[in-house]
Amino acid sequence: MTKALKINKSAEQGVIEFLKALLENGKVKGVFALKKISNDGAVAYSLITKPNELDNAVPFYPLMPVNAGKLLSRFTLKGSSIGPVAAVVKPCELRAFIELVKREQGSLENLFFISSTCGGVYPLKMSVNGTVEKNLTKYWDAVKKGEISADLRSACKGCTEFMPYTADVTFDLIGNNDPDKQCVVFLNTKKGEEFAKGMKGEFLKKELDRKKLDKFKSKREVEKKKLFDEIDAKMNGMDGLIDIFGRCIGCHGCMRVCPICYCKLCEFESPDSEYKPSNYESDLKKRGGVRVPPGTIYYQLGRLTHIGISCVGCGACDDVCPVDIPVSIIFKKVGESVQKMFDYIPGRDVDEDIPLITFEKEEFAEIEE
Amino acid sequence: MSKSKDNSDGKAAVISAKAGVKESIIDFLKKAMDKGVFDAVLIPMRVPAGDSFAYVLIKDKTLLKDGVPLSPIMSVQGAKAVSSVTRLGKGKMKIAAVMRPCEIRATIELSKLGQTDLENTTLISMDCPGVLPMSDFLIDPEKNIKIFNEAVQKWDDAIMRPVCQICDKSSMIAGDIHIGTLGAKKDTFFIISNSQKGNDVMDKLDIVLKDSIDSWQAKVKNITEEKHKKREKNLKDLKSKIGGLDNLLDTFSQCINCHNCMKACPICYCRLCYFDSDKVKHPSEDYLQRAEIKGSIRFLPDTTLFQMGRMMHMSLSCVSCGACEDACPMSIPVAQIFSMIADEIQGLFDYVSGRDLDEPVPLVAYKEEELHEVEDAND
Repeated sequence: MTKALKINKSAEQGVIEFLKALLENGKVKGVFALKKISNDGAVAYSLITKPNELDNAVPFYPLMPVNAGKLLSRFTLKGSSIGPVAAVVKPCELRAFIELVKREQGSLENLFFISSTCGGVYPLKMSVNGTVEKNLTKYWDAVKKGEISADLRSACKGCTEFMPYTADVTFDLIGNNDPDKQCVVFLNTKKGEEFAKGMKGEFLKKELDRKKLDKFKSKREVEKKKLFDEIDAKMNGMDGLIDIFGRCIGCHGCMRVCPICYCKLCEFESPDSEYKPSNYESDLKKRGGVRVPPGTIYYQLGRLTHIGISCVGCGACDDVCPVDIPVSIIFKKVGESVQKMFDYIPGRDVDEDIPLITFEKEEFAEIEE
Repeated sequence: MSKSKDNSDGKAAVISAKAGVKESIIDFLKKAMDKGVFDAVLIPMRVPAGDSFAYVLIKDKTLLKDGVPLSPIMSVQGAKAVSSVTRLGKGKMKIAAVMRPCEIRATIELSKLGQTDLENTTLISMDCPGVLPMSDFLIDPEKNIKIFNEAVQKWDDAIMRPVCQICDKSSMIAGDIHIGTLGAKKDTFFIISNSQKGNDVMDKLDIVLKDSIDSWQAKVKNITEEKHKKREKNLKDLKSKIGGLDNLLDTFSQCINCHNCMKACPICYCRLCYFDSDKVKHPSEDYLQRAEIKGSIRFLPDTTLFQMGRMMHMSLSCVSCGACEDACPMSIPVAQIFSMIADEIQGLFDYVSGRDLDEPVPLVAYKEEELHEVEDAND
């Protein structure tokens, strides 16, 4: 039996109280969480050190302005955190961070992870005109009932990895019948138990309700299949790829917001990928015309090859694409098929090696033959 | 490109366009390819799925008929396309690049910054009615192409991007050849040469530059004045909205650091931006210290600093093309803000970005007698 803490407050309030207590009793030096940062309701990840600043925090806000895994990597890139910091992150953000740590782009040391069963987030576009704010009641209603909220990002609608693997504590949000009055925090690790010591609330011995979550998962599975089938129908050979990616403007925003794409200089922005006049000339001997700049699909496929094995399906790429290409669904679909070959779930366990850097002699003999 | 300062009589020809202006422009390009004046043409084409337009370097003349001289959107700024083809050398092909005036101006800026080699490239611009916002266009490409074409007929900019609506350089001639459709009689357009290179093209095509462009100039003057007025008003309103540090921080509060603006910007040519470099990556104690001073910091911090930094780096060359705003996933009016600052800073140096290839970028041109008032302020 896992230990759990029942707090007689809503999840949003409960997590803030939890975080305040951590700061106040000196268990952490800082808190990393979503916070309202402007009068017009912009929400951004913030590093908070003073308890009263938590009044504007909205840790479970249904929005992912940036994948937090990317930000935690930036925070710990030059060495692990000098003091304990509590980070409230979504399951996919935590998984992304674990993948980055495997790539030596961050450190887990001194970080305390608070996550939740995640109901998904809205498209970033909806935060611009205040629609997210207006939808909050609807959102929490759906989460309470264990349903998929309408208007979520497609990456979230079809996400079946909504439970964190390695969080120290997990707030159970999905299917929580009484979310306005109480919430339950599962204390998954020793650290989690220790951090929860002395908190207001009732300590229980309890397990996450698998049945409830499995029911939710099956709803997500249905959505996922729909999304994958749609892409399947379109991604038909080279022509299909040209149709899907033809409107790509080459901004590489997908790569820039991708938590896994950590390269300082992408191969596809390097001199190696640059066309010389002679390349254009020789291409034009073979074809009547060349798209300029070239390499639109080459870039997408290249990135797919580079990060597919670690793609956590967070959907950040969709959010940022100025021409609405369903990048995340394509990457998630291809990513999963590669991950399955190696029985690998990105971000499940920091000690699990990335398949592509692990040599196993007895592997894929069928391909050799 | 040696520039003639005077674009009046004797530099233009009236071309008959009975088959339609677009078709006649394509015909002009085709003839030029037939005669070997150009080996290839860089021009927007509709992508196979029909939901966008992309620059294509065409060598096969039969493809020219699908060229779209005035595409309804700016998916990639043309200067980036020219730079992709010529940055590493002028190449062996003689290329005609058919682009909008702001794309030509950006190309000229990139040339000054060593990012294009224009020796074998002829820049051809057209009077520009603006382009549709990318996000609007994508809702229904087919319908929006029609709407755009109708708006072009009426020269109505109400549906164009905000930064296009206040563009007072939409007929500015900076390249080698300009195609003027404004003020032209029915079924004709003006072809205006603006350089020796342009003159040579005309000679080879037996186009005699003998016609007056008075009616074009008059119409352009009208439109430019109108747009300029609107520009002054809109930018004044914008300034009152974003002026002061608090407003500025609020304006950029939605920025998610994707740097799409920078990637779409034709002027931001750096391979690795300072704001993506190691210089902006700090140890955790630095972040925590900063957070402790203020109680809380946004993470990543320095979002507005990136915007200000980029502005410092490129606003002298900003051509107000609007590519940044189209690419911003958070609908921040980046192009309007940058355009406003560009006006002011370029005005300080009596500089207009991309106006003339021979005009050096002010920051690389030292003048002893300049900006004394700034020096005095520190005495």
